[in-house]
Amino acid sequence: MVAITRGVTIYDRHFQRVILAAMAAAFFLLLIAGGATVINVIGNEDHTARVNRTYVIKGALADYGLYSERIEAVRRGYILLRDEKMMAKFHATMRKMPPLLDQIVSLVRDPAQQRRVAQLRIVAAAHERSVAGTFAQIGNGDAAMQAIAAFGIDDSITTMDTLRSVLAEMTSAEAELLTTRDAEQKAGIRTLYVTLGVTGVLIVALMGATLTVILRYTNDLNRSQDALRELNTGLEAAVADRTAELSRANSEIQRFAYIVSHDLRSPLVNVMGFTAELEASIAPLTELIDRVDAEAPQLMVPDARAAKTDLPEAIGFIRASTNKMDRLINSILRLSREGRRTLVPVPVDLVELASAIRDGFRHRLTELGAEIEVTMPMPPIVTDRLALEQILSNIVENADKYLQPGRPGRIAVSARAEGRRVIIDVTDNGRGIAPADRERIFELFRRSGTQDQPGEGLGLAHVRALAYRIGGVIDCISELGAGAIFRLSLPGVLQVEPREGTAA
Amino acid sequence: MSDHSVNIIMIEDDEGHARLIEKNIRRAGIANAIRHFLDGTTALDYLFNAPDGPALNGPALILLDLNLPDMSGIDILAKIKSDDRLKRTPVVVLTTTDDKQEIQRCYDLGANVYITKPVNYESFARAIQQLGLFLSVIQVPEVGDA
Repeated sequence: MVAITRGVTIYDRHFQRVILAAMAAAFFLLLIAGGATVINVIGNEDHTARVNRTYVIKGALADYGLYSERIEAVRRGYILLRDEKMMAKFHATMRKMPPLLDQIVSLVRDPAQQRRVAQLRIVAAAHERSVAGTFAQIGNGDAAMQAIAAFGIDDSITTMDTLRSVLAEMTSAEAELLTTRDAEQKAGIRTLYVTLGVTGVLIVALMGATLTVILRYTNDLNRSQDALRELNTGLEAAVADRTAELSRANSEIQRFAYIVSHDLRSPLVNVMGFTAELEASIAPLTELIDRVDAEAPQLMVPDARAAKTDLPEAIGFIRASTNKMDRLINSILRLSREGRRTLVPVPVDLVELASAIRDGFRHRLTELGAEIEVTMPMPPIVTDRLALEQILSNIVENADKYLQPGRPGRIAVSARAEGRRVIIDVTDNGRGIAPADRERIFELFRRSGTQDQPGEGLGLAHVRALAYRIGGVIDCISELGAGAIFRLSLPGVLQVEPREGTAA
Repeated sequence: MSDHSVNIIMIEDDEGHARLIEKNIRRAGIANAIRHFLDGTTALDYLFNAPDGPALNGPALILLDLNLPDMSGIDILAKIKSDDRLKRTPVVVLTTTDDKQEIQRCYDLGANVYITKPVNYESFARAIQQLGLFLSVIQVPEVGDA
């Protein structure tokens, strides 16, 4: 029992920690997966932009190459044909070239490419200058031959070649960059897949583990609940056993009390009877003594005269004692007779019963300035009405007998259901009972505290016997001077066993 | 019962009680012979077997206590009331028991009168004296009358 309880609590704490950790881990993994996806998407966008840029650069480079070739062709055409249209075409093309170069410059990010762009700018400027020189020479009317010669001598051909090679280099470099970026993107996607796969597997594993733990915990919980239920049933059975035992012991004691008190009565009849006979003989004896005293005083002895006073005194004591003994025996008889009454379990309305008892004591309580409070609601109960009524009225009577002088009496009757039992509390603010006396007060002919109230010390013994009979237990919770609680625990439903024949 | 031949048979284990009963019966003016038995066995022997016992000879009246050392007075009552020769013999149960069921049982078995001995002696004396007066007027059947 202890092991189970301890196991459960430790497991409980452990369980919570494990579940929390698993949840946190799963959440973390989800975050990683989400993060990886986001990073990848961003990377992807970036990559697309870069690829686009590369294509734009490649296009621009191709255009630039084309324009360079065109002005070269226009130059040659102009040298040969001197056509002014060529001049116009040259200028138109020339205007297009710087913005294109600027676009390339703005797009290129790769340091090597940037270096090449700078080189391109220098070469292109040289080429431009060379072509522009050719046009100027011819425009100035310089001899065409001169120009042709100059064309032959100057480095315009090499410039053009350099330009072409730079452009080709740049184009192939862009292509290379594109390939690299493609590979990078593929690698990124692969990493994403791997990350997602791994986190997915981990999440599934965590879920599995969590599920197992929860299932195991639930099983354990069910098991411990079963154990608890069993334990509870066991406890109830133990209580039932105990009360049955008490009830059996009680009925045995009552049978015993009946027989003993009954048998005590017979000799008492003799004692009382012959005492009465003796008493009856006192009168003639006294008369005789008086006569002897008067008529023949010489026959008189002092002891005989003393008998006149001693005899009535002795008989008086015998009578007082036998009367007391008679009262006690009658009390026990009454007690045991109550134990022999057949119990009739009926549904009892506790509020109604308690109120009836309160009304019964109202007169006395008003005299004492005390009050009884019946706390509602009260649970239903099936028990022997008469027995319960006697128990409660005895306790209430006791409470109002032993109120604390100088303190307005408050007596409260309350009841509550506790499992299959009903607990009835009668609480008072009276003079209380010393701890040492708390059990004693339930004993026959025993009383506690200041003896300023009439009584044989029978009420609570009677209450306890009655409580046992109806399957109950009664206890007293009290401190001297601080009131008392009489707690009656009864079965919610009284089961009456078929009774054996009653003894004579 | 003025007929002096009617014997009073008292079955009472307590000699004190027996003496007090006898005293008070006498005070009521009953002069019939009283045979006293302290236990059930000898009482039954007398009732059924003694030549001068009621079964064989003469009418009788039985005062019966229920608490006897060797048997219950109820058994004696049952034996008396189930015997053809004795069943008409009046039986006065005079005992300390005032248990309702016990009283009913005695009447069921055929007891004629059931008296609980009062513990208080004045009441006791009065009860016995009244019983005596009662005994002085009741008619006891002859044994063997069919």
